[in-house]
Amino acid sequence: MPSSCEVDVKRVPGAAILVMRGEIDATAASPLQSAYAETIGPDMAPRVVLDFTAVDYMNSTGIALIVGILAQARTERRTVAASGLSDHYRQIFEITRLSDFIQVYADVDDAIATTAQPTA
Amino acid sequence: MTSNQAQESVEVLATFAVPSEPGNERVALREVAAVAADRGLTPDQMERLKTAVAEATMNAIEHGNENRPEVPVDITVLQTAGAIAVTITDRGGDRADNAPSEVPDIELKLRGEQRPRGWGLFLVQAMVDGMEVSTDGTLHTVRLTMHTDNAESPNGPDGNEGEDDAEQL
Repeated sequence: MPSSCEVDVKRVPGAAILVMRGEIDATAASPLQSAYAETIGPDMAPRVVLDFTAVDYMNSTGIALIVGILAQARTERRTVAASGLSDHYRQIFEITRLSDFIQVYADVDDAIATTAQPTA
Repeated sequence: MTSNQAQESVEVLATFAVPSEPGNERVALREVAAVAADRGLTPDQMERLKTAVAEATMNAIEHGNENRPEVPVDITVLQTAGAIAVTITDRGGDRADNAPSEVPDIELKLRGEQRPRGWGLFLVQAMVDGMEVSTDGTLHTVRLTMHTDNAESPNGPDGNEGEDDAEQL
């Protein structure tokens, strides 16, 4: 089944942003994992922002993909943030406790602004 | 309420089937959303019902009918007294329902001690006000219920009134 998910990688100081579009389901595995792999390297940003603004559907398999990205990022000592979640998917992040491990922001600008702030 | 009164209060809003192919849960959720529109669900309830229907249909396609396109998943949308109910039936009534369900735990998943998947049934239960599972040895049916007679669903974001007797996605 062809994927309806597209993922672009953007970089800002201190963060890599995965801009997702379409559906985060089983077919999103390849584009999502490939996009994440692009962010890995010697100078990789310590923070990954997953932007859901243009995501119109996510199912349990998609949640598993996000868990996988989060697990990999944690092994690389990176933090993960999410932006642009609808109220419904915010609720799902809370139910699954993803929001205990992924900082949730209203939009990418908020997530980036937080990235730019010095940490204690 | 007597059983006769209960039966009289049930209105079948729609029945349809989808082939057991990955992705057809989207067809199911769209159909259910169209049928259930303007039937007393709040927008939040509608979103939760759509997610529950999608996840239960995925389960039926994958685990019940084993992704065989020629085997349908049958879906019925009902209006009952104070609720919208959706039944999702597959042909996996003889599958091992006695397998213990794995309660998803994100901390275990992040440590690699639990598979990343396994959220489906957990989500279904969290999304709706009631979930019942029945089987007759051939057919396996999940019935989802969402109350329409109250502004706030008793099963909020952290609520869970569902029964836990089906396998996980």
